[in-house]
Amino acid sequence: MSKIIALHSYKGGTGKTLLSLNLAAALAKLGKKVCVFDLDFRAPSLFSILKAENVEYWLNDYLNNSCDAEKVLIDLSSKVPGNGKFFAGLANPATEAIRDMSAKDRKWEMRALGRLLALRETLLEDQKFDYLFLDTSPGLQYSSINAIVAADFVVVVTTGDRSDVDGTKRMLQELYNLFEKKTGLVLNKVLDSSATAKKAEMSNKIKTVYHVPMLAIVPCFCEILRAEGNSIFIEDKPDHPFTKIITEMAKKIENNEVN
Amino acid sequence: MIKDEILAKKPITILEKIEESLERLNEKMEVIIEIQKNGNDSQRSVAALPDASLDVMTLLSMPDHLRKTAMAICRCGRATAEEIAGQTSRARAVESAYLNQLVIMGYLKKERKGRKAYFYVDRETQG
Repeated sequence: MSKIIALHSYKGGTGKTLLSLNLAAALAKLGKKVCVFDLDFRAPSLFSILKAENVEYWLNDYLNNSCDAEKVLIDLSSKVPGNGKFFAGLANPATEAIRDMSAKDRKWEMRALGRLLALRETLLEDQKFDYLFLDTSPGLQYSSINAIVAADFVVVVTTGDRSDVDGTKRMLQELYNLFEKKTGLVLNKVLDSSATAKKAEMSNKIKTVYHVPMLAIVPCFCEILRAEGNSIFIEDKPDHPFTKIITEMAKKIENNEVN
Repeated sequence: MIKDEILAKKPITILEKIEESLERLNEKMEVIIEIQKNGNDSQRSVAALPDASLDVMTLLSMPDHLRKTAMAICRCGRATAEEIAGQTSRARAVESAYLNQLVIMGYLKKERKGRKAYFYVDRETQG
């Protein structure tokens, strides 16, 4: 079943972009047609990671109603082995574009939501995409809430940081519950999570704290820091434990085991 | 003169007109009933701004019963009360009342096509 999946978090730097890019790549590797969209208009990052050149149309243009969704798509299938198709839609990193996006009013945001919802027809139904990943800004930003509303499933990424835990809890109760969104939680950058017993304990703890199902526990890997966000990690290191976790997560999504 | 014209029409047409009028009346009644049922919450939200827009922050600030309907219409873009009821698993009459309330609040537009009433989010109007 084709789907729109949003990745969101309360705080910044939790690993949303890393997870969305690698999850999307993992699903493409499984033979799916996937697109990842950078909806972090205040701090665009996919542009740098994917080293995109000569971008003609940005996601900004699509939301501004100045081009069709297809125009935004950049084919990166060559970066992923196998028969899968891998595309990206990028946020414009120019300062002027960032300033323009932060000055939008409610009417514009309402239309932007309409444009995001329209992707279901143009990309999922017409272009036969299997998955669209929406990488968002942290916190309660307009663009992020638009993405949450447009998505079928939301992956909330959190860390063990106290302020993150409290904020995420509040956000799940006061935002996600109101929208009745299907949500899965990823606990990222976890220390000492190698022991299986500890994982089960942690998973239970998460359920009692956040009241949402656990999607994955991702340990803190120095190799990820060392890669300096220069590539799609799972492609560079196919045998790394992080790649295995991401692949498992992708399979869970594919087999609809995320409820 | 007008009376003669009406009498000249087939009885079935007249009955259809009566049915249509009754349906409209019924919808208005449903709105009144729902507004009363949901008490102050709804009454407060009826006082919408003239440039009301159905954006996500507005969705968040809505009372729960209306948000459910508003979310469904947001996803569809354009739908009848029956189609919305199919999504929310609530009765058609209830959805009709909520949709009409959202129209009064300025968040939705309503359009009649034959005997069906379509509700939609007006995302095109500039402003």
